[in-house]
Order: sequence, then C-alpha cells, then structure tokens
Amino acid sequence: MQRLRIGRPAPTILSLLLILTLGACGAAPYRYQPLDAFDVVSRAVTQQQGQFRVRASVPSEAEAEAMFGIPIYDRGIQPVWIEVTNTGDRRGRMALVSIDAEYFAPLEVAYMHKARFSKQGWQDMERYLYANALPRHVKPGQTVSGFVFTHASTGTKAFNLDIFYAGEPPAFEQFTFFIEVPGFRPDHREIDFRSLYKAAEVQNVSTDGLRALLEQIPCCTSNHDGSAHGRPVPIFLVAEARDLLRALLRAGWQESSYERDENYLASADYLFGRPPDAIFRKGRDRSTERAELSLWLAPIVADDAPLWVGQFKHAIGRRYAIGERFLGVTLDPDTSDGRNYVLQDLWYAQSLKHWAWSESGRDVPAETPAFDFHGNPWFSDEAYRIVIWVSGEPVALTEATPIIWDRPIESLGGSP
Amino acid sequence: MNLTLRTVARTAACLLSVLLAACASSPAPVNPMPEGDFRARIQSQERSGVRVSVAVPSASETREIFSKPLYDKGIQPVWLQIENHRDEPLTFLPVGLDPEYFSPLEVANLEVDRPENPESLVDEFFIEQSINLVIPGGGEISGFVFSRLDEGTKSFNVDVRTDAEFHSFSFFVPVPGLQIDHYAIDWRNLYPADAWVELETTRLIEELEQFACCVTDKSGDNTGDPLNLVLIGMPQDVYTTFIRAGWDETETVTRASGWKTVKSFLSGGEYRYSPVSSLYVFERPQDVAFQKTRDNIHERNHLRLWMSWLTYEGLPVWIGQISRDIGVRFTTKTITTHKIDPNVDETREYLLENLAYAQSVKAFGYVGGVGAIPMDAPRGNLTGDPFFTDGFRLVLWVSSEPVPVSDLEFLEWRVPGHMDAAAP
Repeated sequence: MQRLRIGRPAPTILSLLLILTLGACGAAPYRYQPLDAFDVVSRAVTQQQGQFRVRASVPSEAEAEAMFGIPIYDRGIQPVWIEVTNTGDRRGRMALVSIDAEYFAPLEVAYMHKARFSKQGWQDMERYLYANALPRHVKPGQTVSGFVFTHASTGTKAFNLDIFYAGEPPAFEQFTFFIEVPGFRPDHREIDFRSLYKAAEVQNVSTDGLRALLEQIPCCTSNHDGSAHGRPVPIFLVAEARDLLRALLRAGWQESSYERDENYLASADYLFGRPPDAIFRKGRDRSTERAELSLWLAPIVADDAPLWVGQFKHAIGRRYAIGERFLGVTLDPDTSDGRNYVLQDLWYAQSLKHWAWSESGRDVPAETPAFDFHGNPWFSDEAYRIVIWVSGEPVALTEATPIIWDRPIESLGGSP
Repeated sequence: MNLTLRTVARTAACLLSVLLAACASSPAPVNPMPEGDFRARIQSQERSGVRVSVAVPSASETREIFSKPLYDKGIQPVWLQIENHRDEPLTFLPVGLDPEYFSPLEVANLEVDRPENPESLVDEFFIEQSINLVIPGGGEISGFVFSRLDEGTKSFNVDVRTDAEFHSFSFFVPVPGLQIDHYAIDWRNLYPADAWVELETTRLIEELEQFACCVTDKSGDNTGDPLNLVLIGMPQDVYTTFIRAGWDETETVTRASGWKTVKSFLSGGEYRYSPVSSLYVFERPQDVAFQKTRDNIHERNHLRLWMSWLTYEGLPVWIGQISRDIGVRFTTKTITTHKIDPNVDETREYLLENLAYAQSVKAFGYVGGVGAIPMDAPRGNLTGDPFFTDGFRLVLWVSSEPVPVSDLEFLEWRVPGHMDAAAP
C-alpha cells in the first residue's frame, strides 16, 4: 500500500457524545501561563528592513496549549508571535493577511473554545486573546507585539509580513520568515547529507556536462531489494539545500516526518540504494487527493549547486484492493502531468530561474502502461524529464528563462 | 452527518425557517442567460497577437457533456480556445487558471471503484477533452481545464508565455443556474436623475460622518450592525473587486436556495451563495450582498452594500456593513442565528487587506460616524449579538483594473483611536 496518508477519520458518534459530556462540564475558569514563562521570545528571529525591525517566533503545540490554556493546535490553529519596532518617522500598518490570507480572529479562537469554560471564563479568555493579538498599527518610535492566529502547518513555518507606510509616497516593506517550530523534526534533518557520498564519488560538472550525466540516472525507482521497478523520477532540481527548502515552502509544500520503521523501509521507493532523503506534501481539501514529492540527493554537482532527483505522486482517489487491510489510494497514472505541475508550481511560487528538458527518461505510452512494484499503473509522454534551476530568492514570472536542450519546445503537448 | 442534540435542534429550527422563507417570497425570474449550449456565452479577449476565448458550462450542461455530475463533486470544466497569431510558440499555464486544477484522469477516476483494470486505465474521452499546453506559431488549441467550482461568477486568469514574454488575460464569466441578487437591480435608475449630489473631499467626509450609525429593521425602529464601510466606485468596479478577491455572490430567497441552505446547515457543508437576511438603510434592504466562506457555513464573512445618491469625482459612493460569522447560537427571536465576531473593526480591517491583496483597492482612509462602543459595554445588533467598535468607517476606492499593493495609498484623513492603543 502506498504511504500517502489518508486524513483523520470523521469523529464517531461515540467521540462526539464524549465531547458533549465534557462540554457540559464546562464550568471551569480560564487559566493561562504568561508569555515570559516560555523561551518563545528569546528564540525569536530578527530582521530589519526600511524603518521597521521585526522579531518573530512560533510556539510549539505544547507551548501554545500552556500559554493560552486551550489545545489550539487541535483546531488547526498555530499562533505566531511578532514584535514590530518602528524606528522611522512614518506610521506603519501591518497586513495580517500577508501572514495568512485566512487567519483566525482572536475572538473567533475564543468562541471555538468557549464550551470548555464558564461564561466568566470565556469572557476572560476573550479579553486575554484580544489583548495579546498583534496590533495592526505602529507609530513612529513605538514597539508593538502580539500573536497572529494562523492555519497550522507541519514543519518549518514559512510566512511573509508586509508593513505599509502611511502617507506619501505609497510604499511597503516585505519580510519573509522561515521559522523552525520545536517538537517537529522533518525527515531531511535525520540525514547527514555531507556523509552520503565520498568526495571521490561526486562528479562536478558544468551545466552542459550535466546534460550528458542525466542519462546515467535511472528512469525509475525500485523496491527495497532492487528486484522490481517503481515509478519514474522525471524531475531534476538544481539548488543548494537551503534554497530548495525555501522554494518548496514558499510554494506551499509541507515537510514530513517519516518514521523509518520496517514497514516503511519495506514499501518505500528506492533510488541510489536508499529511500527518499526528504518527502514534501501538499493536499487539497479531500483527504484522498494529495500530492507527494520525494527527493534524493544525487552524487552530482552542477556549477557548484547539488542535483536533486524527484518523484511526484498524485493521489486521485481511494482504491480498494483485496488483501489490503485499509483503504489505499489510486495514483494518477499520467506521470507527465505531475512533472508539468511541479514546473508551474515553482514558477508561480517565484522560485524558477531556468528550466530545460532532458530526453533521458523512459517512454511509456498510455496504451501500454507500466506497473510499479505496488501494482499501480503509470505512463508518460515520451521520455522527457524536466530540469529546474531553483532560486531561494523570489524571481518574477517574466524573468525565468529556458535552457534549450533536448526538447524543441514546439513538441510539448499532452494534457496539462 | 453527525447526529447530536444540537443537530436535531438545528434541523427543527431550519425546517421552520425554510417553510417561512418559502411562504414569504415567491421566486422571481432574474437575468435569463441562455442555457443549453455554453458556446453561446463565449467571451473573448485579444492582445499582443494572442486571442483567448472562454466559456463555462453550467451544472446541467456539464452533466450533458461529460455524463458525470462534476459540479456535485466540486469540479467545474472551463472551455478555452487559444489562438496564436504570432510566429513563435506559446505555452499555456493551467496553474495560473487554478493552482489546484484537477488532472483529466483524476476527473475520469471519479466514481470508479476499481480503476486497477488496465483496460479502464485511460479514459480516452477525458484526455481528448482536456487542453494541450503548447500552441504552435500560427496555430490554435481548444479544450477543457478542470477547475474548482465557482457558481455565480467564475473569475480566473488565462496565462500564456513565450520564452521572453508573459501575458495574463482576466475573465469574469457569469455561470447560469443561480438567482443572484444584484442581477435584478437597475443601477442607473436607482435614483431620479436630479437626486445625485457630487461632493468634494471635505464635504464628502462631513456627509459620511452624518450618515446613520447602523442598519435598521424593516420598520426602521430598531438599529443593528454598524455601517462601517464606504466604497467609492462604479457598480462594475464593486462587482469585479469582490469577485477577484474570492467573494461569492448571494442568491435571492427561493425554494431552491432555501433547500440548499438547509442541506448545508445540516451537513456543515458549503452553500457559498446562501441568501442573507434583509437589513435596511435608506428604507430599503441591501442592494447587494457578498459572502466569503471559510471552513464551513458557520464561519464566513458577510457584507451588505447600499448605493447612495452621493458621488465623488463622478463615482457613486456606497455605504455598507461587514461582519464575520464565527459560529451558531440560539436566540429567542430567530431560534438560531450566526454568532458574529463582536470585534467588528477586526473584520473591517480584514476586508481592507483582503481586497488590497486582490489588487482591487487604489486608496483607503477612515471617517467617523458610527460612534465608539467599548468592549466592556457592547451594543447589540438586531439578533442580540454584541459588538464593539472604535466608531470609524473604512473608506475604500475600488478598482476594476488591478492595482499592485505597492501602489496602495494610505490617506490619513482621520486617525482611528485604536491606532494609538495597544489592542488591534
């Protein structure tokens, strides 16, 4: 069975009854622990731009629960602490939607948790959350701080904060933060990338040299003992690890944390003799429709930037198979669609510097699909793989340029 | 559906309200759009040697074409034709149309329990109907992109690029099937020709500060939510502003819309175009209402607008009210109602940011007129929901043409008190 995760099961009637019973006992006063009882502020990341200095930090699930007296992460809410100092002479206005377009209002958060408390407790909670929310305005010389209640994400918290200047001329500052949240260790942190390959194994090449070397990268993954083919690896990413991480976070991908237990090791896709070095996920609303991007560091460095090999899996619905204890997922068999998606995704996330097509994959026509070692079918349009030079800093849509390799652009067809 | 005591109570309340709604108003036909052949509603734009034509099939047309109830699954096909009059090839970027578009086989896979069968692996039909990505020089392509569903008005971009250029075409396409409130309004004749009053800045501020503080009920005797918004723009500007920012239009009360409201209420699902109650300004209910659904029907933002007889630089001045639903509560008057965030200023500021980031706002400022209401002594709206406010109205110049946030003007007309306080 694929390891694409199915979402949490719907609450059963039993658990709802339990919640109602507990809710009926909601006569408790509101209790919280002050912010200075935690090291949230001391570990804040600081940035200065224009006339504003910004500090930001993200409490872990446990810290947030103690700090606000409510299990706030359970409702999918992640508080972000921000402090803004105005060192100039123009008033500033913070745009909360720049942090999360659909952030939660403080009193909305209080209302979600009101059943736990007495009426007085609820009102105390409302006042506390209101008083500790980030103000939107900061006067010259003033420092303000507080929380913004965002949608919870897994792993490193990536967000912008835009601050607008009042008066003439129109102007604003954009801060970008990538903040590690205690209590979560992404899979790629478990890997010591420097010791993956011996120095002699690594090939240093130019961009042109890379083109020829891609022929040596297998078309597809294999199972754990190399006895059967997996799915294709049609994506190459050229980037420093930090830049790649930032680009993926900016595009809305979330880190994952796989326990490398026996089950996992037996069912994972293998390339270069090992399971993926990192897996990123992105989901639609429906729990069965998810995308997964697996990455392996290759023993190749192109113009000083390492090469990453990628596999994209797109779950498009449930799958029922005899012999499986749980519901599995159906993977989109059209692997070119996923490859094209990743290119556009990074482009719209302003992370694309250059791209090129490499005719180094495997041509599997839709009429005669191949099957991976889990029995899932797949096909591809011809043998093209995409090579993407990734930028850690934003690149405007119009500034990304192609490198013309194998594929005359006119021939690019197929479905989106 | 989760059966709880609360749900049962809701069911009873809802059925009652629907029966009342069905009795109160008979459905009136509005804005007949030709339905049957979506190609009769094609919109086209041409620029820089590229012609883009689009059309959006309605729910019933979609079912006809694809033999699947795609709308019920939240999927909406968009028909595109891209003609390339240039010498070089163009590439179409579906992620620009919908960052979470559905792949053709994902759509084909719907309702298929055992897609493992290799014979049924590729639904040729869906592949054939989907659009190619590359348009050769002098060529054209046409086909469908499968996007997430938007009824009412579908708004999207069609992005194409060459190696050196990037072109984006923005479309607003009405989709037949809903009875939208503002379709029936004749904006031009809302007031007699001699009733319009053009004002310069100082007089505008004075007039806006003298407007009534709040909405009323039909009798005009009871006041409700504060009128905390002022918009300046033509009806078309207001329409594109909200559609571009992801707001949904609102259906009028009909039997069909009442039933859809009940269904979504019971399931906690989405009925994004649900009719809203009438609140009164200028002795009439709102001219237009927009709503923005969040995680479920109980968490959404509502706003109502009335066009006034004032103009500023030739543009109509609108007065409005916005509130954020944060849950459901029981009342003695209406049995159930949506609980609003008492901090209505928070919702007002959200709207400013939401519209500004949708590139729909040229400038903003504040005027007084509501009167401050402190958190410790809140006032009640018409359903008894408490609210508090700094007493200011947000004034927004809205735009049909995109305005980058970097050009957003922050006018310091009045400085709301909350800017100086620690709280938001």
